[in-house]
Amino acid sequence: MKCALIGNPGVGKSLIFNQLTGLGVEVSNYPGTTVELQRGNTCYQREIIEVIDLPGVYSLDGASDEEVLVRRFLEQQGADVIVAVLNVTRLERNLYLLLQAAEYGLPMVVVLNMIDEAAKQGFTVDTAALRDLLGVEVLLTSALQGKNIDRIIPAALSAARPATLEVPYDHHIEAAVRSLDKMQGTDRFASLQALEGIGDDAELLETAKTIAEEIESRHRMTISQIIAANRHNFARQIADSITVRQKEPAPSFDLDTVLTRVIPGIPLLLGVLLAMLLTVFIVGGWLEGFIVTLFEVYAVEPFTALDLPGIVEAVGIAILLALQAGLGIAFPYVFLFYIFISVLEDSGYMTRAAFLADKAMHRLGMHGGAIIPVTLAFGCNVPAVMSVRTLRSRRERMIAAFLVTMVPCSARTVIIAGIVASFIGLAAAFSIYAIVFVLIVLTGLLLSRITPGERFGMIMEMAPLRRPDPELVLKKSWMRLSEFLFIAMPLLLVGSVFLGLFEFFGVMDVFEAFIEPVTEGLLGLPGYAATALIFGILRKEMAFETLAVLAGTADLGAVLTALQLYIFAIVTVLFVPCLSTITVLHREVGSRVTLAVTVYTVALGLAVGAVINFAFA
Amino acid sequence: MHTMHPSTCEDYLEAVLTVTTGTGRPATAEEIAGALETDPDTAGTALSALVRDGYLVRTPEGGIDLTETGRERAATVARKHRVLQCFLTEMLGIDGAAASREACTLEHEISDETIDRLSSYIDCPRPRHPGRRRCGRSTTTLLDFSEGDTVRVTVLAQPGCNRRLLDLGILPGEMVTIRRKLPNQGMVVRAKGCDIAISPEIAASIFVEKSG
Repeated sequence: MKCALIGNPGVGKSLIFNQLTGLGVEVSNYPGTTVELQRGNTCYQREIIEVIDLPGVYSLDGASDEEVLVRRFLEQQGADVIVAVLNVTRLERNLYLLLQAAEYGLPMVVVLNMIDEAAKQGFTVDTAALRDLLGVEVLLTSALQGKNIDRIIPAALSAARPATLEVPYDHHIEAAVRSLDKMQGTDRFASLQALEGIGDDAELLETAKTIAEEIESRHRMTISQIIAANRHNFARQIADSITVRQKEPAPSFDLDTVLTRVIPGIPLLLGVLLAMLLTVFIVGGWLEGFIVTLFEVYAVEPFTALDLPGIVEAVGIAILLALQAGLGIAFPYVFLFYIFISVLEDSGYMTRAAFLADKAMHRLGMHGGAIIPVTLAFGCNVPAVMSVRTLRSRRERMIAAFLVTMVPCSARTVIIAGIVASFIGLAAAFSIYAIVFVLIVLTGLLLSRITPGERFGMIMEMAPLRRPDPELVLKKSWMRLSEFLFIAMPLLLVGSVFLGLFEFFGVMDVFEAFIEPVTEGLLGLPGYAATALIFGILRKEMAFETLAVLAGTADLGAVLTALQLYIFAIVTVLFVPCLSTITVLHREVGSRVTLAVTVYTVALGLAVGAVINFAFA
Repeated sequence: MHTMHPSTCEDYLEAVLTVTTGTGRPATAEEIAGALETDPDTAGTALSALVRDGYLVRTPEGGIDLTETGRERAATVARKHRVLQCFLTEMLGIDGAAASREACTLEHEISDETIDRLSSYIDCPRPRHPGRRRCGRSTTTLLDFSEGDTVRVTVLAQPGCNRRLLDLGILPGEMVTIRRKLPNQGMVVRAKGCDIAISPEIAASIFVEKSG
């Protein structure tokens, strides 16, 4: 049996899914976290039940990716039972979706979640009244406290029925439904869909369109508006009739008076971001040193002591180095970073940040929602590119993909810290950040002018502020980290092995001889630095080590001038995202954009390097 | 008693409709005479004729109200008046008072068919002209109001693009409260008990009027 969870974003669907199946689904207090279907199994009375977590949607009639996905799923009867999850604290708006879902006629069970929150706000819901109205089983649950979650599957198995109530639509709409029934024999649901222009039957759509135009001209509203208004009004009536107010809630201090004002909201936002980056770099740097030393002492040194034959040793060392670099960076920087991001998301602060940043993001051709991919990119570009899909238009996704890959991720930060900060100085390191940010802004300004496609503004529900649950925060950070570990890491390993083999067979030297005249003339860098640069695509976080290995010394200051180190660092930071990012880019935005991003960043890196070289040499 | 001219009859019915809708209770003969700028005697005679013809009824308290037939006929005329006035002011640019007088004359002769066509001609949304002014509707958008104001949504421009607004409960007829408005015009509005952040260009496409 298949059982699908449907509901608005942020109603606790994913949390319920987790509790039902024990699987790790990313849970977020941020609209649009689940874009794909999540499936998991649970066992009840020796029967295996497949549970599907549908992405959170506000409606089933819209054109966004998630809405189309859920609509198709319901149309194809992808599930035997629908479990409609509602947030009782936003009952009216959640009932609106329920009324739509009920029209699909699938057997359903209604789950009123967050009942603990409702009790805090001084009200409860008359489930018997709702059960009578809908004609389906209604459960009161609290996913946070795990209350009544165990009753969902039994109810879905034994008591799921199609809902019996019908939304009373405007009499013109009802008349249209009747005449479509008479003319073409379509049922109520198909007629309503056709009036809104949804469906595949061309003849029906054509007839419906004529009727719809007539109604629209009389009402001075679109059919969708009329239907939405009818559903909202009906939802309000239901909500009013089933809400039982027990006591007036105590007026609580509204944190939004602080968070969403320009002052102190924006300084607070900048402070939060800065504090997060600083903490990650200080604590992460300490952990990195610790892990790298561990690896050095317990893995690399014993391995070299084995004195294996040449090619085996080269491959082995390459694998160990990749693991050392990957784990040395993944755990300390990326994991810490994702813990912070998860706290910001789950507390509901991220939607405030998106609101405050909206105007600035507009200038760069995106809207406030793009703040998520951009901040994620500081950790690792791979999950950041993957989160680009939550943006509304292709235009925005393209711009975001471009800018996200330019944001210095933790691997590039290691280069800035390891090369510039230690050999030249802190001010020089910050100047690299400054240059990169200016270039990101300029690129955004340019892209927002030249990228075709419609501009959409932001329409985003502000998530309620709540205290993040430590377990959920850790779980989510782990989910994101696993995107790094299982997508980026294997590619790093492969890249590293190739690099080791190239080195072993002397490919590097041939390449070096070939590239040296170009880089020396253009960037003022010796051939081996250029090689480190190029192969940095394979393992960017290792560019520093590669350079050290190729230079034959870790004391880079002795073999390269400050200017050369600076140029090397800035070109590496700007230059092509790593192989893993390219792979994910290709999957998310397609080959043309990926190629454009790659060519652009290579050109930009070389150009900036050359300009600095000629200006200061 | 002579039969009333249809236009006079319609003028009276329209006046009764306007007065009763405005006050929410049956009208008095004086109010109707005042609205039509005639003397109370003439009005009294005309009203009696209309009661006899079944368009009006006298209430026990001595007021005058529309019957179902009367209300229908009055509504038809009132709609014709609105459409004509809209056409004259908005499309032809005639000044409001003059347009109203003109509409009063034309409304009795024009056919239902013509009015329907004229109405859809005025309403027909032209591409690239979102949020065109509409007669009798407010032309203020969310941007014209400030933090703390509660307003009623009247029209959504570009209804196709912003489907999400409908689903979040920001649609014609709904009340929304502006919770926060930034100097850059970004705002948070409360609709259906939820806070929704919207960009300035979205706020500019939401036409609203002051509630109450």
